Amino acid sequence: MNPLYLVFGPILLSLIAYISPQGWGKYIALALFGFLMKSSITLYTLLPAHGYLMLGRYLRIDPLGFTLSLQVDQLSVVMLLLTALLLLLVALSSWSVAKNSNAYFALLILFAGPIFGVFMSTNLLWFFIFWELTLIPMFFLIGFWGAERRIYAAMKFFLYTHFASMLILLAFFLIRQQSGVFDMTLVRESMLATPTLIWWLLFIGFAVKMPLFPFHTWLPDAHVQAPAPVSVLLAGVLLKMGAYAMIRMGILMLPESAERFAVILLVIGLITLFYAALMALYETHLKKMVAYSSISHMGLVAVGIATLSASGLSAALFEMIGHALIISPLFLIAGFLHHRTGSWQMKEMSGLMQRAPYLSALFMLAGLAALGLPGTMGFIGELTILLSAIDAYGVVMALVAIGSILSAGYLIRSFRKVLHGECSPLLAQSDLRPDAALLATLVIFAALIVFFGLWPGPLFDLINPVFNGGAL
Amino acid sequence: MNSIAVTILLLPFAGAAAAYLFGKWHKGLAFWTAEIVGIILFALTLYLYAGSTAAIDIDATWFTFGTISLPFGIYIDGLSIVMLLIATGLGMLDIHFAHDYMADDPDQARYYAKVLFFIGGMLLLVSAKEMTGLFVGWEFMGLASYLLIAFWYRKPAPADAGVAAFLYTRFGDIFLFAAIGLLFYFTRTLDLERLNAMAAAGAIDKDAAYVIALFIFAAAIGKSGQFPLFPWLMRAMEGPTTVSALIHGATMVNSGIYIVARLFDFYTAAGALIVVAGFAALSAVIGATGALVQREMKKVLAYSTMSHLSLAFLGLGAGSLAAGMTHLVNHAVFKALLFLGAGAVILAAHHTKDMFRLGGLGRTMPLVAFFMGMGALSLSGIPPFSGFYSKDAVLASTIIQSQTHGMIAVLGVIAGLLSIVYIGRLWMFIFAGAPRDRALFDSVRSPSKFWTILPLGIMALVTLILGFFQAPLSHYLTGQPVTEHHIEGLLPFLLSTLALLALLVYFFYGRRPDLTAKAAAQPLMKSLHQVLFNGYYIEAMITWFSKNIIIGAVAATAEWIDRRVIDGAVNGSVRAAQAAFALFSHTHGGKTGGYTGAMIAGAAVILLLFLIAGGVR
Repeated sequence: MNPLYLVFGPILLSLIAYISPQGWGKYIALALFGFLMKSSITLYTLLPAHGYLMLGRYLRIDPLGFTLSLQVDQLSVVMLLLTALLLLLVALSSWSVAKNSNAYFALLILFAGPIFGVFMSTNLLWFFIFWELTLIPMFFLIGFWGAERRIYAAMKFFLYTHFASMLILLAFFLIRQQSGVFDMTLVRESMLATPTLIWWLLFIGFAVKMPLFPFHTWLPDAHVQAPAPVSVLLAGVLLKMGAYAMIRMGILMLPESAERFAVILLVIGLITLFYAALMALYETHLKKMVAYSSISHMGLVAVGIATLSASGLSAALFEMIGHALIISPLFLIAGFLHHRTGSWQMKEMSGLMQRAPYLSALFMLAGLAALGLPGTMGFIGELTILLSAIDAYGVVMALVAIGSILSAGYLIRSFRKVLHGECSPLLAQSDLRPDAALLATLVIFAALIVFFGLWPGPLFDLINPVFNGGAL
Repeated sequence: MNSIAVTILLLPFAGAAAAYLFGKWHKGLAFWTAEIVGIILFALTLYLYAGSTAAIDIDATWFTFGTISLPFGIYIDGLSIVMLLIATGLGMLDIHFAHDYMADDPDQARYYAKVLFFIGGMLLLVSAKEMTGLFVGWEFMGLASYLLIAFWYRKPAPADAGVAAFLYTRFGDIFLFAAIGLLFYFTRTLDLERLNAMAAAGAIDKDAAYVIALFIFAAAIGKSGQFPLFPWLMRAMEGPTTVSALIHGATMVNSGIYIVARLFDFYTAAGALIVVAGFAALSAVIGATGALVQREMKKVLAYSTMSHLSLAFLGLGAGSLAAGMTHLVNHAVFKALLFLGAGAVILAAHHTKDMFRLGGLGRTMPLVAFFMGMGALSLSGIPPFSGFYSKDAVLASTIIQSQTHGMIAVLGVIAGLLSIVYIGRLWMFIFAGAPRDRALFDSVRSPSKFWTILPLGIMALVTLILGFFQAPLSHYLTGQPVTEHHIEGLLPFLLSTLALLALLVYFFYGRRPDLTAKAAAQPLMKSLHQVLFNGYYIEAMITWFSKNIIIGAVAATAEWIDRRVIDGAVNGSVRAAQAAFALFSHTHGGKTGGYTGAMIAGAAVILLLFLIAGGVR
């Protein structure tokens, strides 16, 4: 299979989807994402036990180091599988988008190409190009299909992350200058003159994307204004891109610097975990609360990454996947409620359980997973990160457990406000029947959360080789 | 036997799903599914009990992450089997009782599914071999109690009570969660029996073990409704009475005591038992005095649960596993009986929970009065009922133990003696005297013999018979002979004081309630009454703290920093940049379509270049 189809194919296909007859866009998107899923699975089966699977080198203008080398290893393939799954579910949950649907799905398709490029490219320059290309469709998705303040949110999102990208680009040029290579698989072996500066530039750049405190303020705005399926893309794919890069470059590519500065990542992760949870506790805006909860969980991921151990990194990767599957249904439901009622405020939506019992049950399930209830992926993520963090940094890390009571606080309170109680006048007059595609998406999310929560073994079978294979 | 054990653990969850689906299909089927599952569960547990020679021990790995493997095994010994019998036996009777109690409810499918899930959580908890499995069961039960207490979620009070139950217990649970991490760090094992053995052999650092023991105890405090995390227990009375019986008798509150008993050697080696005893003595008195003044009969019972669980904790804290555990078992039976008796009264009196509106019901429902009276006598500690033996053993072992024989023992004895006052008061208010609300009295329905009286009778019989089997029970539970800690003089003292108190109760609540009302009207008594009635204002304090400090101060500060400092800096720098670059802004047109088109065209060119100029390897 020519890997270029995976990366550039979607970009061309998006044009076709845009000019195709009205209403075809979604079918093209679904077919493409299915193909991407199938290709990711194929790649998984082809993987060697250790190291990279070379897919191809193109454009060998060696003096410039501009070679597009596409390679995948275990970590990339896990990310590709997650991305393909989420793209499928996003397409499904967007089924009822009415406003200019061909353009909407064309942008979704446009997003798929660069995101695959990010996870497949081992050339730093190309990595950066793909990294930046993901911003463009995302910018328009938020800016056109978003809520009331979409322009502000889209601009803020774009500028903020673009600023971070400049730091990353600077770091890449420094690497190129000092080691002579743009290939991330070779940087590890080469001597860098200023590894500290490079690490910090990369760290801040990726911390914005993840996002970590204090670089997180773009996220609540972007999430709130983005249409619900795009929030899923943001939380499930774009943030994961940041965490992936943090692992790939902040840890695996620069192991010495990582060891020196892991404590920074740990502390920032802990601050993010608690700070965002407190913000969520204060929030009365439903989708903002979910957004802060999302940030809080990414703080937990950072704690897992900071352990630098095979167990901790596996736990962090599990939590990344769990976070994507758990936070997405919450965003979808919050967006749905806003779409139907026009309100964001939790207190205006009491009594949802009476009007839409199945939707409420799914909301509760995802919420319980987010607060780390056993039987869901959230618990496995928290437990494994707690164990590995205590292993790496000692008994102080028992602090991580405090996050669980804060998350219980805001989520249980949201159940009380939104699901329970008398039916509010606003809900009573709104049509709350979810469309079948949305309900199906939510059920798939719920099934995955519970399945891997009760039986995490298969997922860890996929994850463990990533870090046990001597990558560390 | 192993397959039976696994069946017992899986059946409730399968039953819950079945009860929900069948119940959605046809309303009545939910009950019958639950009833049948309940009976099968109890029968299987009995079979397990009859056939058990050695402990059932199943090892299994749950999953491996990185280099760490987490196990999920099953371990069922005598202690577990007794807890299983309590949960399935009382659970079965509770389901049976619910037939009438929940008959009018439209959401029966949901109710029975949750009840079976609840029982399943408890079974998982007491059968777990490791902390991981125990924690899963522990949290399942926390979830189920939340869902059941908030069962009537349309009304604000039950919905709030559910929130309280979840958050109070969850607050304790985070300590258990942290304890799992710490245990693993210090011992590299989560196997409960191995932890006991390691601690007894001195293989665990003593300070670490002490801290871990306290962390686990914090979770036990939350689940078992001890000071200071008890308010949820009283709020939980907003749920259906059958649920209260399930929480207070069969399942949830027992789990806190179970975990301390399960790790008893660990606690002994860590030297943490004295802390358990101290909190227990305090809680015992708070519960007993709180129960003295409540108006709602269910709240009296809730406070008495708190007090009696404290006595069980006190037994453990005094170093007597046998005394603590036998009291837990005896309490489970008579408390479930009393709750279901209260349920029968509430059902008959059209959902009146206020005792001050009842009275004289002994004439219309004599059997309920009789069986509840038996439960009350057992709770008060009158021989030959089972409650007497275990309460006596708890108090005696507390007095004998040198660490607890001072203030702690005094508080324990006071709490033990007060039982007869509050439960006597409850019984008198409901069944004796003249009806206070004539209209209500005349409209009282008589309870069904099969659905309501039968479970009460069975439990009353058990609480009586258990009294004669304390020695084998204790032996079976702990492997130790029953504690023969009777102290010369203690027994006569206890019994004569009880008799005196009984007379006083009879006089003040049965004969001359007017005198009691007059005494309660005194200003000093009034303020004391207020303090007790509101549970020493501990809930008010906790609520104030979380509202004003956690949210009002800490979270609000974080929010202020976020909006003013962090986001303020971002927006400020953007504004500055905008001002600087305003001069050049006219150079880009801002047509989004143009940008997209350019991107696609560019990508197409690049792809073409690749394919033509040597893309193929």
